[in-house]
Amino acid sequence: MEIEVLEKDEKNMRLLIRGTNVPHVNALRRIIMTEVPCMAVDEIVMLENSSILQDEIVAHRLGLIPLKTDLDSYNLPEECPCKSEFGCNLCRVTLTLDVEAKEGTKTVYSDELKSENPEIAPVSGKIPLVKLAKEQKIRLEAYVRLGKGKNHAKWQPVSMCTYKYMPKIEISKNCDGCGKCVDICPRNVYAKTENKVEIRNLMACILCMDCVEACTQNPPPIEVSWEKDTFIFSLESSGALSPERILSEAIKILDKQLKEFESQIKVKKIEES
Amino acid sequence: MKVKALKKTANELKIEVEGVGHTLCNLLQKRLLEDAHVESAGYDVPHPLASNAIIYVRTKGRMKAEEVLQSAVEKIRETNKEFGKELQKVLKKA
Repeated sequence: MEIEVLEKDEKNMRLLIRGTNVPHVNALRRIIMTEVPCMAVDEIVMLENSSILQDEIVAHRLGLIPLKTDLDSYNLPEECPCKSEFGCNLCRVTLTLDVEAKEGTKTVYSDELKSENPEIAPVSGKIPLVKLAKEQKIRLEAYVRLGKGKNHAKWQPVSMCTYKYMPKIEISKNCDGCGKCVDICPRNVYAKTENKVEIRNLMACILCMDCVEACTQNPPPIEVSWEKDTFIFSLESSGALSPERILSEAIKILDKQLKEFESQIKVKKIEES
Repeated sequence: MKVKALKKTANELKIEVEGVGHTLCNLLQKRLLEDAHVESAGYDVPHPLASNAIIYVRTKGRMKAEEVLQSAVEKIRETNKEFGKELQKVLKKA
């Protein structure tokens, strides 16, 4: 197996993975979306709300704010030793909001949420929560917990996670260089030079085959296919966790699940014999 | 994760596993089919909301179904570990 980093910054990562198969990359993708935990507001206590939005709407908007997550110091509520329904310092963080529109209308943004742990705070301070008219007030306490994407999308650490086959395009010498494929390609894969067609950006290809259909020659000199064991894996974090942490966490979770399954089938064997 | 045997003969095994879905089953089925000892392997998730799956394996007779199942899990764990190691290596460089 060979991995190449195509692109990486704080939130995005694009990898070229060689020598693997669809089930494995798909398992990782599914685990990233449903099993990798991250933090989100789970419950709120509304102390005062004179805004025009109902408590439930405000609660829903709070839930969907992505929060910077600390996976090492916090436990999932169901795995926390406290076993309390309400949670403890190891599985819950409290955010408070106390705003009043004193002079005219005011938009409340996510940076006005005060966290008891400065590490657990909204990813962006510029997410609008609610608009208040003069003299309207909101006072609330919000409880943040770790959770999994399979229970609610607010606990999904990624906004996007996909993979595709590595495209393979071959243009034979018979090409007359009419340039029809250059015009039709939605991803600008080709470039025309004098009377030849060249591949400019192979990885952008989405295997739509428009270029083959648009070709005037018969048989078409363009052949579009894909490498069966090579994938372009892209991942865009919501900002809760770094993309490399999300992927390594997914690998860990997959191994844990397989290990558990393995021990279960072993137990089964002992029971029956 | 709870495993319940539904059917078991010399070369067949049908198990119901609680708490797994397509993620693990698809991975397992495809890996089982790569094994030369396996005649047939499949899985079913009876209800999309309930996360339990039925896994079925039938071998050609030389090996027991549990054995091929176990070796498949081991192989998947190996590739997954290799992937993890490779990723760490590449990320350190980048």
